Amino acid sequence: MSPDDMVDIFRRVLETDGVTADTDFFESGGDSLMGTRVLSAVARARGVELSFDDLLVAPTPALLADRVASVSR
Amino acid sequence: MSVPTSAATAAATSVVVVGAGLAGLTAAADLAGRGVDVQVLEARDRVGGRTHGIEVAPGDWADAGAAYLGERHTGLLALMERSGLKTVPTVMEGDSRFDVSGAARADSIPGRFPPLSGVALGELFDLLDEVTRSVRVEAPWLTPDAERLDAMTAAEWADDRLRHPDSRLFFPLFLGEMMAAAPADVSVLHMAFYLRSGGGLRYLNAFAGGAQEWRIDGGAHRLSEALSAGLGDRVRLSEPVTAVEQDDTGVTVRSAGGATRADAVIVATPPVLADRIDFSPALPAPRSGERTGPGCAVKVHLIHPSPLWRRQGLSGWSVSAEGPLLSTVDDSPADGGAGILTGFVTGDEARRFAALPLAEQRAAAVAQAGRLFPDLPEPVGFHVTDWVNDPYSRGCYAALFGPGDWLALGPHLTRPHGRVHWAGTETSTEFFGLMEGAVRSGHRAAAELAARR
Repeated sequence: MSPDDMVDIFRRVLETDGVTADTDFFESGGDSLMGTRVLSAVARARGVELSFDDLLVAPTPALLADRVASVSR
Repeated sequence: MSVPTSAATAAATSVVVVGAGLAGLTAAADLAGRGVDVQVLEARDRVGGRTHGIEVAPGDWADAGAAYLGERHTGLLALMERSGLKTVPTVMEGDSRFDVSGAARADSIPGRFPPLSGVALGELFDLLDEVTRSVRVEAPWLTPDAERLDAMTAAEWADDRLRHPDSRLFFPLFLGEMMAAAPADVSVLHMAFYLRSGGGLRYLNAFAGGAQEWRIDGGAHRLSEALSAGLGDRVRLSEPVTAVEQDDTGVTVRSAGGATRADAVIVATPPVLADRIDFSPALPAPRSGERTGPGCAVKVHLIHPSPLWRRQGLSGWSVSAEGPLLSTVDDSPADGGAGILTGFVTGDEARRFAALPLAEQRAAAVAQAGRLFPDLPEPVGFHVTDWVNDPYSRGCYAALFGPGDWLALGPHLTRPHGRVHWAGTETSTEFFGLMEGAVRSGHRAAAELAARR
């Protein structure tokens, strides 16, 4: 999953276009409820089940895309 | 319908308001400000309705009823400002406690996220968001697919749509917290409407940046008391209204103390209670049905000398899969003083808990608090507020509309019946069930009467 795909997911969940690969989810209005919707979107797109902790340690599209890549490998 | 037609054009120079909760008092204050002769008849011996303060320690008040507000609650904030009342932020620093996994001990976790599958909860919120967005919030009965959504309970919906055990476990807890309902109590249409009306899933659920951002300093009841003080002896307590009779020249409102005559009436009570008033001529249609239930909330307060859980790095926030305290939150006053741990007992658990004697309620609540917050001593004070069986509220946060209710009742909730107008949080499609909905309904009802002139 590319960082761009992840940026799209963040944009959809946060309902803002102001998301780049380095935007921190929790500093951009994201909370735990919205965070789960990033996880379900990733699971739908890639069949990868991330945990909420994954989002806490990798809160940007770039970092979370890395995480997906390492889990899928 | 034999309602006198002249009522539609007559000037309302005198108005009786039934119910001194936030809706009725807001309407009465608006009308009094326009020079209308207002009388407020309240059944209880206090004002405030579903807001109620308990003095848990000298000078420290706990909200036994409605408590929270956020920045979108503009009507409430404006009234507070006029009354000189301030907000205090809800605090949520430290770890949460979760007892949802069936483990012997509760889990301590930073933030508010429970130790459940994030993907499963995400799928639950995706589904809820989808149905919530589909609702026509200003007229839910006109929602596309309204008949199907109105016929199905939220329990049936969950049974059909939720596959993962974690989402099935979490859904009733979420619904209990959001709207004090068990999934079998409400139609899918009402669930979706409620979530949409309150600002959507995220706003309604959030503390910081959401509908639980603040409390009212000193207690939410202070707003009603301030409005009532402004009205003075125009507010009459212990006056349950039994009948409202219209004729060609006005309305006679019969209450415990006798009859009050006026040009028009605003009934600002929950619809189930309004339907018990004997209207003459009769209402063209009821405003509650057999499936309309009470909001199922019992609020428990455990009082400690200080917020002891904070010393252990705990926020006071907890979520449990088993009752009675399905969630707890730290509602301690901002300036130090007492430690107030509020426990929410909602949905089916509220009905069970409400039926227990006080000693058993206390034993169960204290034991659970001790499991959630290790080393928490016996509380120095303990309070239970049962809204489910309260004769003058019949539930809290708000009436629960069951299958069939929105299609049958929806159009009648706000439609005036001759000289009778309606207020109450259940008549507001904006922030239904919240204090903000009550305030907006009061302004709307007062404006309707002004428009009659």
